[in-house]
Amino acid sequence: MTFRQFAFNNVIRNKRLYAAYFLSSLFTVMVFFTFSIFANHPALSGDAMNSTVSKGMNAAAGIIYVFSFFFVLYSMSSFLQSRKREFGLLMIQGMSIKQIRLMVFLENMLIGLFATLGGILLGLVFAKGILLLAENVLIIERTLSFYFPVKAILVTFIAFIILFFFISLFVTYVLRSKKLIELIKGNKMSKGEPKANLFLTILAVLLLGAGYTTALLAKGVMVVAAMVPVIIVVCIGTYLLFTQLSVFIIRRLKKNERVFWFKTNMLLFSDLAFRMKDNARTFFMVAMVSTVAFSAIGTLFGFQTVLTSSIKNQNATTFSYITSEDQEEKNVATINRILTEENIETESAHTVLQRFEVGGSSTQIASQSDFNRFASLIGEEPVTLKEGQVVVVEYQGTNFGQSKDLMNETITLTSGTVLKPKEAIHTKALPAIDSYFVVSDEDFKKLPEPTLKESYYAWQATDGEERVMAASEKMYKELPRYEITSVEYEIYEIMKGYGPILFVGLFIGIVFFVSAGSFLYFRLYMDLDEDKQKFKSISKMGLTEKELKKVLNRQTMILFFAPILVALIHGAVALTALSNLFYFNLFKESVAVLSVFLAIQVVYFFIVRFFYTKQIQAVI
Amino acid sequence: MLKVKQVSKIYEGKIAYRALTDINLTINEGEFVGIMGPSGSGKTTLLNMIATIDEPTTGEILINERNPHVLKKEELAQFRRRELGFVFQDFNLLHTLTVEENMVLPLTLDGKKVKEMKEKAYQIAEKLGITGIMNKRTYEISGGQAQRAAVARAMIHTPKLLLADEPTGNLDSKSSKDVMELLESINKTEKTTMMLVTHDAQAASYCNRVIFIRDGKFYSEIHRGDNRQAFFQKIIDTLSLLGGDAHDLSSVRV
Repeated sequence: MTFRQFAFNNVIRNKRLYAAYFLSSLFTVMVFFTFSIFANHPALSGDAMNSTVSKGMNAAAGIIYVFSFFFVLYSMSSFLQSRKREFGLLMIQGMSIKQIRLMVFLENMLIGLFATLGGILLGLVFAKGILLLAENVLIIERTLSFYFPVKAILVTFIAFIILFFFISLFVTYVLRSKKLIELIKGNKMSKGEPKANLFLTILAVLLLGAGYTTALLAKGVMVVAAMVPVIIVVCIGTYLLFTQLSVFIIRRLKKNERVFWFKTNMLLFSDLAFRMKDNARTFFMVAMVSTVAFSAIGTLFGFQTVLTSSIKNQNATTFSYITSEDQEEKNVATINRILTEENIETESAHTVLQRFEVGGSSTQIASQSDFNRFASLIGEEPVTLKEGQVVVVEYQGTNFGQSKDLMNETITLTSGTVLKPKEAIHTKALPAIDSYFVVSDEDFKKLPEPTLKESYYAWQATDGEERVMAASEKMYKELPRYEITSVEYEIYEIMKGYGPILFVGLFIGIVFFVSAGSFLYFRLYMDLDEDKQKFKSISKMGLTEKELKKVLNRQTMILFFAPILVALIHGAVALTALSNLFYFNLFKESVAVLSVFLAIQVVYFFIVRFFYTKQIQAVI
Repeated sequence: MLKVKQVSKIYEGKIAYRALTDINLTINEGEFVGIMGPSGSGKTTLLNMIATIDEPTTGEILINERNPHVLKKEELAQFRRRELGFVFQDFNLLHTLTVEENMVLPLTLDGKKVKEMKEKAYQIAEKLGITGIMNKRTYEISGGQAQRAAVARAMIHTPKLLLADEPTGNLDSKSSKDVMELLESINKTEKTTMMLVTHDAQAASYCNRVIFIRDGKFYSEIHRGDNRQAFFQKIIDTLSLLGGDAHDLSSVRV
């Protein structure tokens, strides 16, 4: 048996030991590969529109690559940690540290090679799925057909062979020459609890508090300015939270014998304390990586909502046409012709929008009958006003601070009467870029000369909605772009431009989130053998199944939810800051995104707990 | 106290293997019984069945007139925790806990009061001479100390029956002697019934009675008189009759 044969056999005959590391490497390769299949798709390269898209894709691929590097590095080092005893044993047999390094290098290259090949193969299997997904999210006219991605294969293969080469090289130097006794006693000795320092513990609380309050209080452009310092402060705060505050809390709990010596608590806390150093690091990483995922995806969805809702808020009807020019009748006729051509039945209404001088600025005022016509068009409540009564329709769109509070304004009629608004309502009946007044028809006639007049037509489709898109396309071709609005078409246009960003963001977010999950999985499975041993001894002393499950449940629960909880809070704060930036309430979107992640994590927790408990129970 | 009636154990598998055949055994309250036999004779299988870790294929085992093997899983764990104490060859101490915490673990799992646990731990530690290492971790103490800590853990809940599986197997002769003397004194003062499985004739000589099994069958039984040295010699004689090689025995320490 030559040395190389030994290294080879060590991997091949020890498949199970290497499985976790191998699978996570495989996973990273697969992710990178599927992404590059997509990024290098022939349908996406070529015309001008897509050059920015492909630039973005390459940047995203770069991010994934850098992240893969750290992810594989982490997996590798945690994998080596669990093999300390083996190295100790080999050193007793007379293996030099140089030989161990060579062995680790060879092993790592072997695993890397297989992981790269396997990842590419698996990626090919999933390629069609990812292309289909991309087609739907991206709104691409051409279908992304399956192709044989020669370029993607080459890029992935070379990139990852280089990656594994450097990691193998790097890891062999991380493997410092420890004392033999430490290697052999390896898993029995605690890596030491990080020292809990009262000052640092308080600092953790202060930093997090300061970061949060700044993020929550900042409004508008301030958010952008505060972003980088807040991220740094929260980052340090989170690190201290896990390395100091958690240590502090567990120490206090351990000192309190009434709690620590209560039933199964002893098993749980002693383990937590014992693995504190490893846990603190994993928790920090998982929390930060998940925060990035939550914030990225939350931001993208939030941004999408901001964009689309401003259109929906301003235009309640299917089509609308607004003009102050003389082509009016011809254009309206064109619209009606297209509607008949496409066989879309509509109800329509027409009015002249008028703006008046109120309180020193130009404000829109509508008559009750005009308003009610448009309200009934979209099925909203009409208003009934007596002479002298005024209501304010409050602006609903994104408020960048331009919207005035009209409740304190008054309207002066030509007769000299002064009208005061009695209440404010919310409706989308008339298009608006600001809040406006509705007055009774009698009062409307007594208004002074308007400062601005625009003719406004609205059509609400009652039948043939599925042909709206086709009709819109025709209208946008024949009419001036800024006069005609079709909500559906506008949103489609936005989504088309926004799709690639959304897709890339989603992809990276999911990659981050899944890898956060694998960090946790690694952490748990590194302790599996130790736990097996432990529960075996305890069960001989008499541990009921219920108690065993309770201990395991809490152990995995802390592992899975402590970092995610922190990440969720971080994410919530980040998304609140985002809503402040846009003056737009993103509460619904934030809750949706965060609860989806939480739900996935819960499912993941149940799956992992099930298998972990099963493995432990098998040895008892 | 303990009755083993017509117990057999067959390990199912591709080739069924009969580990024990029709073993009958009675241990009275306060007795200290040793089980000896060559490797593979079924000693540990017998102990595991009495310890409720394993189940007999046929026959029944009664501890205090109760058959623990018909108990439900939950009750069985409670039974082990309250009525039985274990000492293992490889100590089985948890390395995440200190010696003291290891000792009180059976009580902790039972939800006893902290004050009571502390008191008991210190009483026993004093008796066993391990008060100095109470706050040490398991990798900081020697094998003899670890085994004494394990005995303390097995004793802390004053079990009715204490089972020891090669408790001296990992210890040097001095530590073996200490641990065996300790067990003997516990047996005398606390009247705890004890059962010991061992290879070591020296260790077995501390028992009141030694039972020999060979190939899963009862072979013979000898009683100790007043003289431990003579008993030791008798054990050696029986062992050589049992058919083990001469060097299978521990070196003569008489």
